[in-house]
Amino acid sequence: MRYPLLHATGITATLLYAGFVVWVYATQPRTLKDVTQGARVAAGAYAVDAARYDTALSLFHRGLFRAAREEWERADPARADARTQFYIAYAFYREGWGRLYHDDALYGQGLQAVDRALALTPAGSLIVADPDLKMHTAAELKAELEKGREKTWSDLNPLRVLEERK
Amino acid sequence: MKDDPARRRAVARVLLLPLLFLTVALLGGMRVAVDRSFVFLPPPLVTLVMAALLASLFMRGRLVRLEAWLGSRHGVLTNVSHALTLVALFFASAQAFNSVLPEQGLLHWMFAFFFLWTLWNDQFSPFDPFRLLRSLGVLFGTAFVLKHMILGALAAPGGSWTQRIASAIFQGLSLGTLDVPAVAPATGYISFFTLALYVIGLVLVAPTPDEPGDVRPLLREARLLTPGERRALLKELEEE
Repeated sequence: MRYPLLHATGITATLLYAGFVVWVYATQPRTLKDVTQGARVAAGAYAVDAARYDTALSLFHRGLFRAAREEWERADPARADARTQFYIAYAFYREGWGRLYHDDALYGQGLQAVDRALALTPAGSLIVADPDLKMHTAAELKAELEKGREKTWSDLNPLRVLEERK
Repeated sequence: MKDDPARRRAVARVLLLPLLFLTVALLGGMRVAVDRSFVFLPPPLVTLVMAALLASLFMRGRLVRLEAWLGSRHGVLTNVSHALTLVALFFASAQAFNSVLPEQGLLHWMFAFFFLWTLWNDQFSPFDPFRLLRSLGVLFGTAFVLKHMILGALAAPGGSWTQRIASAIFQGLSLGTLDVPAVAPATGYISFFTLALYVIGLVLVAPTPDEPGDVRPLLREARLLTPGERRALLKELEEE
């Protein structure tokens, strides 16, 4: 056989490029920035912006949930950090929670965020040890958000006003 | 490093061709929306059928001689490399069709029918590689002009009042079934570039991978000879 090294190089380059093409169609990046971010995530070189993350956390603890979410979205533009997505979902939960009723739209967005957090932790063992939170796992948060969106007769129970926000 | 023509042909076949076809596969489904965001459309099933028909045409037209590309006379690496090139060619063909096929509505099916009909008829026509390439150029060129220049202009947002009137008449006559999504002008440029790359790739494909580059023009010339001239040529070659 002639040029074995050339053939091996060609096969490797073709397979790598084909993998990139399949990845682009599977992830559907909307901008060139998405492409570079996605490539960084795939290469394991992606990290959330720590300064923005801390700012968002302080906003969250002060009860400014919408501002905190926006800051977290900027800190994790690729939505590839499970912890950040967990906090975003928690911010949706706390903003949507009401003593008399829960905001279904915010709870729905919270569910999407917590699903992303769960998808990013295949082992499902995401535990956030924040003393300000009453739910420390993504599974608990998901169950609470789902419960909040369910329509049951217990919604009419007047004792519901005594429930605590978690 | 020794730079001989055979090596250059091997580099083109093993490295350049698959990467070129994969670029076509990448860009063929790419659209730029009006808000300048990218949309990547995977090949619809009908384009895979068209690509299969086209692959059959490639073999019938001797643009690709499968027995020369794959077989026991090559080593494993060479066979794998050639197989990858042919697979890339198949997906590039599917995405080249995807690039000039309207995305939805009645026009999608009208264009698909036009392509399928042409490809099906071509299955029964005598072809040589040169005629096949010319026929494909015309087929893709016509579809490109129809989709990206005529329909694209009618569906473009804004524009002059004559364009808006033409668009309204077009929609009215078709009872709203000719649903053409508005895209940014960049989509047309990407499609043009994609089709150009595809045609360049097809020109670079050698029917026989190890064929010397200057054989093809000679063969083309030989096909123009009369039967008597061919016999004389063969006799001359045998005598040598």
